[in-house]
Amino acid sequence: MEVTFNAYRREPGEAEYRRGVYKLDLPEDATIMDGMLKIRDEEDPNFAFRGSCLRGYCGDCMMSINGKNTFACTAKVANFMNRPEIALRPIRMVPVIKDLVFDWDAFMWNKIKVLNPWIEPQESTDGVRTVPDKVMADLRNAMSCYYCGLCDEGCTVLPVDMKFLGPAALTKAYRLAADPRDKNPGEHLKMAQQAEGIWDCVHCYEASEHCPRNIGPTERIVQLRDMAFEKGITNERVARHHTSFAASVKASGWLDEARLAIESEGLTNISGLMKLLPIAARAAIKGKAPIPYLHHKRPGAKRITEIFEKGDERGK
Amino acid sequence: MPEFDVLVIGGGASGLRAAIAAKEAGASVGLISKAHPLRTHTGLIQGGLNAPLDPDDSPESFAADTMQAGDGLCDSEAVKTFAGEAARDVLWLERAGTPFNRDAQGKLAFRAFGSNSRNRSVFADDRTGHMALQVLYEQLQRARVTAFEEWYVTSLVIEDGACTGALALGLRSGSLEAFSARAVILATGGLGRLYAPSTGSVGTTGDGQSLAYQAGAGLVDMEFVQFHPMIFPAGPGLLITEATLGEGAQLVDAKGAAVDTRGLPRHQLALATQSSNGDSAKIDLRPIGAANIMTRFPQTHELVKAMSGLDVTQEAIPVRPAAHRPMGGIETNASGETSIRGLFAAGECASNGVHGASRMAGNTLTEALVFGRRAGEAAASHARLESRKSVSQSRLGDEENRIQGITGENTSGDTPGKLHAELTALMDQQVGLVRDAAGLDAAIGKIRGLKDRYSRIKIGATTRVFNYGLTGYFEVGAMLTCAELIAVSARQRTETRGAHRRSDFPAKDDANWSAHTTARLVDGSPAVEKKPITAA
Ligand SMILES: Cc1cc2nc3c(=O)[nH]c(=O)nc-3n(C[C@H](O)[C@H](O)[C@H](O)COP(=O)(O)OP(=O)(O)OC[C@H]3O[C@@H](n4cnc5c(N)ncnc54)[C@H](O)[C@@H]3O)c2cc1C
Ligand code: SF4
Repeated sequence: MEVTFNAYRREPGEAEYRRGVYKLDLPEDATIMDGMLKIRDEEDPNFAFRGSCLRGYCGDCMMSINGKNTFACTAKVANFMNRPEIALRPIRMVPVIKDLVFDWDAFMWNKIKVLNPWIEPQESTDGVRTVPDKVMADLRNAMSCYYCGLCDEGCTVLPVDMKFLGPAALTKAYRLAADPRDKNPGEHLKMAQQAEGIWDCVHCYEASEHCPRNIGPTERIVQLRDMAFEKGITNERVARHHTSFAASVKASGWLDEARLAIESEGLTNISGLMKLLPIAARAAIKGKAPIPYLHHKRPGAKRITEIFEKGDERGK
Repeated sequence: MPEFDVLVIGGGASGLRAAIAAKEAGASVGLISKAHPLRTHTGLIQGGLNAPLDPDDSPESFAADTMQAGDGLCDSEAVKTFAGEAARDVLWLERAGTPFNRDAQGKLAFRAFGSNSRNRSVFADDRTGHMALQVLYEQLQRARVTAFEEWYVTSLVIEDGACTGALALGLRSGSLEAFSARAVILATGGLGRLYAPSTGSVGTTGDGQSLAYQAGAGLVDMEFVQFHPMIFPAGPGLLITEATLGEGAQLVDAKGAAVDTRGLPRHQLALATQSSNGDSAKIDLRPIGAANIMTRFPQTHELVKAMSGLDVTQEAIPVRPAAHRPMGGIETNASGETSIRGLFAAGECASNGVHGASRMAGNTLTEALVFGRRAGEAAASHARLESRKSVSQSRLGDEENRIQGITGENTSGDTPGKLHAELTALMDQQVGLVRDAAGLDAAIGKIRGLKDRYSRIKIGATTRVFNYGLTGYFEVGAMLTCAELIAVSARQRTETRGAHRRSDFPAKDDANWSAHTTARLVDGSPAVEKKPITAA
């Protein structure tokens, strides 16, 4: 079958990219990877893209094909013939080194590295600790991650703060923190709650929606937070979050999400507040946030305020 | 210029394990890998890995099964070491964080796999390799080994008969560097891509075997290439793990007859799924039950669907044999030492006689762990005694010139990919599952013709940064070298044994062939000799 690939081409150091247009004759069941290999082999040995397992095991060839993020090795050309040219592009936000070779170091690997990503094995050599398979199955689910970066790609915090560790690295942190065999339990929780860590996630659930392996990266971050609370590891921002939550309910009878978000970030934390803007904008688009934003009291709010005041009295 | 006590080439299971062991033994260690370690071939392992961990299992029983599969060609001393140390190395991997499946009591679960006489394989669903690789890479970072990820080794450096380092091209920087070392470990994996379809990932191109051979090392038993019996023929070939058979899946041959797969070694299973007419053998996973398929073989379900749209919980799928894994490779002893001082090898690129003529399912990951560790320890000990020699600037300059010499306008009319396609076609037809003298002679002639054409190819490289056209050129060169060695060794072995099947010599010939073959580079071409088997 005759197809045309339109591929993102950029030499290292070049500011602008160009489009490489290639006409190919491919078998009906060819994959995008087959086509790219053909270009590299027959037309241009300099055409750069990664690929390793060729069968969807490894996550190396993630890219955007006609705007859809997927693996080139399992994507059938026939499914992308709805446009005259098949567009091959880098995934959003990942820095490009050359053509379709991305800088995974900057985007993901380096963020995992700062977590000290290993468990400290027990020294004992006598047999194996008994662990319910439920615990192991949960680890297997988290470790089925193929480091494809799609959760980071969908993340709403990263576009505002590239220093945020991101859901992929935090999913790795979960795998480490949840491993009952670690000799130093709690170490990874401390790592995960460092600046730019779990508390910077805004729970928009985009990461989970983007994950092709149904790992639920957002849920993993929530679990890490719960584990941190249980261990009494919290930071200042979390404390603010709780105070604001209670204050909002006390004042109006229900949760003022905008107030909560802003107060949690801290009123003087400009970059933290900036992260909230895209979410606010999307909430508005989806009709979840009325414009202008006014928070009304819930019927019976007075009674709720009284309950809070009673609680406050008792706590004194 | 980077300098280490031990330089490991390869970021799969064997290389990672070797590097960790060498570091723990006190050596400074560098590890080079052409692919990021988390993307390497080891991640494809599905079914599991063997060790006599069950209280009523024993190293002796494990050794006996391994010898049985090896069809008379295993070195019993190597097998004894392997079976005796397997449990400790697999437990190490467990303690380091591999989430192996557990039974109802929370103890390690063992699955039936291949021709093991009992349930002996530990596993993590059907993503055993993906999980094990992550854990090994975690521990590599814990050991603080310096990793050079996405660097391609172009040559070994041999000075005064000893290996003193390697030359490698940084894919990201585009620059060629010399790495000096007191000991070098090759852990570069297999050569699946000599065949199509195969189970190999892009990088399984026999680089290490070719590097060692060019440096003067012996390559042993190269004729033995195992074909896996159950390859779903979509795309480059998708392996359906034999562990499905152990859990109830039914194999049906091309004539529609159910195959009794119990205890059958791989080479016999592969014959059962071969088809001479247009019909195809089929594997039916439905007897496992949809719920169990989804929990124990989730990846198989996902990938078959992604590659073909078929749903293994709903229908049987076609399978055929395809090239999987060599038994032969760089000749080593059980400490990974090769015939070159300072050069070690471990894992799929090496051959120490543990697999003999056919490998038992589940033995390779264990092999990578046991012999990777042993090679790491031995290399660290060697490094303590070896004085430091730095790779000379002139050696680096020579390599630079060699690369300059192959870059430029390509007027040959050939490309590496074109030769690769011709090579896989002839390997499948003439050096495949069944061979004969006439076919092998023809193949040897054709391979030499391809080598000749290869020598005239140039790569029109504008930049060396991530120039896979250039590394692909080296890979095709390595594949041509390995192909010739397989074909000449196969021509020599006039019998049928294990994975080597000769239609013109259909019987096993113990009188003449209870022996290994060793191929060496002599005056520019391979010379093959017989080598006796070492018994305990
Ligand atoms: C689909 C499938 C299923 C399998 N299932 C099982 C199973 O259930 N149980 C089992 O025991 N085994 C199984 N195997 C076999 C197993 O995967 C391999 O034998 C094993 O992973 C080999 O490990 P290795 O470390 O020796 O090599 P690899 O994992 O292949 O690693 C080789 C490394 O060397 C590097 N390298 C190569 N050349 C160069 C160069 N020129 N320069 C720099 N670096 C280089 C590569 O980047 C890579 O990092 C399976 C294989 C496949 C394909
Ligand atoms: S968690 Fe999911 S989306 Fe994120 S890198 Fe892993 S597999 Fe990809």
